[in-house]
Amino acid sequence: MDTQAQEKLEKVLRGELRYTSGNLAFNILITKMQKKLQADPGGMDSCMNEIELFLAKYPIVAKVDLANIAAL
Amino acid sequence: MLITLEETVKLINEGKILHIAADDQLLAQLPKGNWIGGTTPYFIGSDGGVFTKDLLYVDEIGFAEDFRVSCYGKYNIFQVVEECFDNGMTLLIMPYGSAVAAKYAKEAPDVEELLLHPTLGWISGLDLDKGGEARVYDGTSGESYTDRAVAMYLRLPEGKSAMINMINIFTDDKTDPVIRFYDNELAVTKCSVNGQEVNFAEYIEKKGINTKMPLVADYNGSYINTSVKGVENGTVSFYAPVFRNVDYRFATAVGDYAAEFTARIDAAAAHDPVFSFNCILNYLYGSLYGKKIPPYTGPVTFGEIAYQLLNQTLVYCEIMG
Repeated sequence: MDTQAQEKLEKVLRGELRYTSGNLAFNILITKMQKKLQADPGGMDSCMNEIELFLAKYPIVAKVDLANIAAL
Repeated sequence: MLITLEETVKLINEGKILHIAADDQLLAQLPKGNWIGGTTPYFIGSDGGVFTKDLLYVDEIGFAEDFRVSCYGKYNIFQVVEECFDNGMTLLIMPYGSAVAAKYAKEAPDVEELLLHPTLGWISGLDLDKGGEARVYDGTSGESYTDRAVAMYLRLPEGKSAMINMINIFTDDKTDPVIRFYDNELAVTKCSVNGQEVNFAEYIEKKGINTKMPLVADYNGSYINTSVKGVENGTVSFYAPVFRNVDYRFATAVGDYAAEFTARIDAAAAHDPVFSFNCILNYLYGSLYGKKIPPYTGPVTFGEIAYQLLNQTLVYCEIMG
């Protein structure tokens, strides 16, 4: 994941930016990570790891969504 | 495709990998083979919504390189996450009203790694007028169950992925009161509305809420419904659980259910879904009997599974790559 996409994704997880994917599982995961971060604001690394794992599993989603997120 | 018993038996005997939905008396006549199935007499066929106990809905699974079938009870249902193919998808059928379906509905959202394994399926049902038992079939053993889930694991070719999505006509109005629940429950008496504890049944009655409209929760823009099953003796029951720490609102009213449903189908623009499962409440409230909604054909279901249990939704899967 490039730096720009990573920074924007962290903002999405903190609720500072809004991004809706066309992929149901990714939207559920983002919501899950947002709640996890609310409960543990220091847990960004762990949340990003989970997201990286997901995106590695779904390269088609990763390609589209990371480009869109980087462009936010 | 909706086909006859004889045509279905022929496909089974040819060794095809099949997903089958039909009335119980038809499924019970099928020989052993590479198939799983579930009961329902309601379908969306290529000619539209139909009620029949004379035909079977059959998906021929030609896109999988390999398959396995397993059955699970409420104590081991989440082994589906461990036993699936690494590059594949899981097709899961559970009987309506079963303990295994309730367990899955309540706990699936908290299961680690579930989102890493495309899991799609449906809750088998029955004839709403005549009653009966919802049942699932493991065609590989010839066994059927009212209290177990059947899973078919499908291995996909390298470079292919299963993409699961849904069509939901409901949305919310962010100015409406926020409803929160205290636990993951299929029936509740109390909840909080904008932070104030209320009796939920009394709240629904007092506000004159139309319970044909589900509760909706906004998962980052994907709206997930929880449909109200009934309000009785001060208790509100649901077709899928409500979850603690989730903000719900009642869905905004839909003027023309059928027209809205058709519009969302057009917007989704799926090209070639390999499976699609449409809720019985869409079939009934959307008056889908006789209406065509291409390309989404399949069983009409008593709950839909897209990773977790959903309600009043059409779920579908496309193979991408």
